[in-house]
Amino acid sequence: MLSNTGNFLLSLNVLLSTLIIYYSYNDLKTAENLISKKVFKISILQSTSILICFFTLVSAFLVSDFSLITVYQNSHTLKPIFYKISGTWGNHEGSLLLWVIILTLFSFLFLIYNKKHPKNYRLYTLIIQNFLILGFLFFILFNSNPFSFVSPPPNEGLGLNPILQDPALAIHPPLLYVGFVGSSIYFSAAIASMITNYSDKSFASSIKSWVLISWSFQTLGILVGSIWAYYELGWGGFWFWDPVENASLLPWFAMTALLHSLLVLERRNVLYFWSIILCLLTFVLSVTGTFLVRSGILNSVHTFANDPTRGIYILVFLSLMILASVYILFSKYKPASTEINSNSKETFVLVNNWFMMFYLITVLLGTLYPIFTDAISNNKISVGPPFYNSVIIPVVVIFLFFMAIGPNAKWVKNKFIDLKIYSLIILAAVLLNFIIFFFLKSYSILSNLIVISSLFLILSSILDLLKKESFNFPRVISHLSFGFLILFIGLNHNFSIEKDFNLKIGETKKIDNFKFHLKDLKLVQDTNFKAVIGQLKVNDLLTKEERVLKPEIRIYDNPRTLTYEASIQTNFLRDYYLTMSNIDRSDYYNIKFQKKPLMIWIWISVAMLSLGGFLSLLRHAKYN
Amino acid sequence: MKIKILYLILFFNISICASSNEILNESQIHKNLRCLVCQGQSISDSNSEFAQTLKMVVKDLIKQGKTEDEIYNFLSDKYGDWILYKPKFNYENFLLWSFPYLVLVFGGFIIVFLIRKRQKKT
Repeated sequence: MLSNTGNFLLSLNVLLSTLIIYYSYNDLKTAENLISKKVFKISILQSTSILICFFTLVSAFLVSDFSLITVYQNSHTLKPIFYKISGTWGNHEGSLLLWVIILTLFSFLFLIYNKKHPKNYRLYTLIIQNFLILGFLFFILFNSNPFSFVSPPPNEGLGLNPILQDPALAIHPPLLYVGFVGSSIYFSAAIASMITNYSDKSFASSIKSWVLISWSFQTLGILVGSIWAYYELGWGGFWFWDPVENASLLPWFAMTALLHSLLVLERRNVLYFWSIILCLLTFVLSVTGTFLVRSGILNSVHTFANDPTRGIYILVFLSLMILASVYILFSKYKPASTEINSNSKETFVLVNNWFMMFYLITVLLGTLYPIFTDAISNNKISVGPPFYNSVIIPVVVIFLFFMAIGPNAKWVKNKFIDLKIYSLIILAAVLLNFIIFFFLKSYSILSNLIVISSLFLILSSILDLLKKESFNFPRVISHLSFGFLILFIGLNHNFSIEKDFNLKIGETKKIDNFKFHLKDLKLVQDTNFKAVIGQLKVNDLLTKEERVLKPEIRIYDNPRTLTYEASIQTNFLRDYYLTMSNIDRSDYYNIKFQKKPLMIWIWISVAMLSLGGFLSLLRHAKYN
Repeated sequence: MKIKILYLILFFNISICASSNEILNESQIHKNLRCLVCQGQSISDSNSEFAQTLKMVVKDLIKQGKTEDEIYNFLSDKYGDWILYKPKFNYENFLLWSFPYLVLVFGGFIIVFLIRKRQKKT
């Protein structure tokens, strides 16, 4: 029954999208200044029916209707209700439905929230957005239908991968999707703007909110994903430059560049075509990321769904999208002639874009390069964290300095850069850095430079906060928290302590300034797993701190999997991070212990970074 | 005067960190080696038997007095370049290592060119 309902609603959506395109196209030719009521009505209907379609799938997961293949493959009757619901988007088919929901809702919201912009610009945006919706609806219907039927229905489902049964991972995909699927709306708007020659400042202000929304959510989505990786994957890191992580970072770079270039477009009416390119690029990169992840072309920790036919469909869709947008771009391109002064805010925004493109191309190249070498010379190579760190970090140092100075430059023509203040700030930054490594530990030259440059950004942002004159508060928050982010990552990286050793029950081991004692092991039966919980006493001999950590080895029943749960003890200064794993044919347990300073501040910094985006959204909404 | 103090401190800063020469760090090497039986993990992060064995091999090689590069070469000869997370700088990977910086330099030129062209002639 649910299968029929779902399929009916999907087909209904195909019809509604087609109708919207048809009526919007007709409406273009009328002399009316307002968009016809019909288009609004169908849009409301479209959003409602896609939401009902989604809830149909959710209820199929809730009642464990295993006659649907997707539910059978990804759920189980004994799973907690929360994970039954989150299982809806924890798989390829369901997550594509989430894609379409966001495409549809953004299409509707853009229609109703941009009343003061020209009618044809809004109609074209709607038409293009609905072509995107149709593309994904066909993909769902013909290739990845979450409502596919299996007969006779199995009695029990296969269950959801236990490492995905996690609160952070339940909200990670929706956040990230609002981010990069949300970028579709300014892809459509960019093309509409070129077609209707709506190219002035008001175009910038019509898409600014959408860029801010998607940027803030993308940032949050990346944050939640990192936190999940940190406590769930058991290696104590939060970023591995894994292809899928990179796929979420690429649109982020493009969005960040766009966010800054829009400032110039909004203010001075320059950089129009460059902003258009960034609008197109953001969504193209989002689809590219999806292609890389879903086609299984790359080796990654997120191999939750791959199938070559999916890859081919997305690749065809992607190519059509790129070809169409490049064609329109070239046919509409006009060289601009507005003046830009070398010492002005405009130049600093260009500098931001320049660095963003560098990061973007580096990460894109690193992600794709293994595919090329494999295809050309059959030599498989890995491009991992050491590559990205050594290529990107030196450039970040220079970037942070620009990031501190840039925002204080004036539009059109800056007077001069106040060298006196900046050299004082540098002096303070160097002194602080000196204090840090004099009292704690020395580190490499590059780490010194990172710490100094991030302190420079932090100090100058704080000075901005103290200024009496009016300033852009959201901007300062975001820049300040980015400075803190880099600083904390740098300190965390340099002062982390890692110990790897074997222990058996009752044994005590002293390593450097730490004493470890494995007191006991407990066997616990939970609803959907069995767990061996260790009781490990950690003594820090320097600080006289004593903590009991409880790492777990879990055995899940459906599907049968062994997972290692880290035990983490957090405070504002440091995290203790401990994992335990059994060693075959031995009564020893392998223990990995890490002391990670300032860990929680990394999360707080990213959350603040995103908050800056939301505040800026409020500010924009207030003035427009 | 302030500038002089600044230079002095900068110099002091650099000379101190230059004197702290880096020792061969075992866990740093582990982070650069892919666990071949896992999905996208380094041997430092993995609990697999393969990772445990490889850690022993690295320990042995360090004992034999091998340098970091010699260890990487030894392992990539045996398991292929797939095992190294930091790709070697060679003919094949030349583009990978140099292209980002080419983009950086090129981008800088574009900006300078653009501004020169667009600047008001005074």
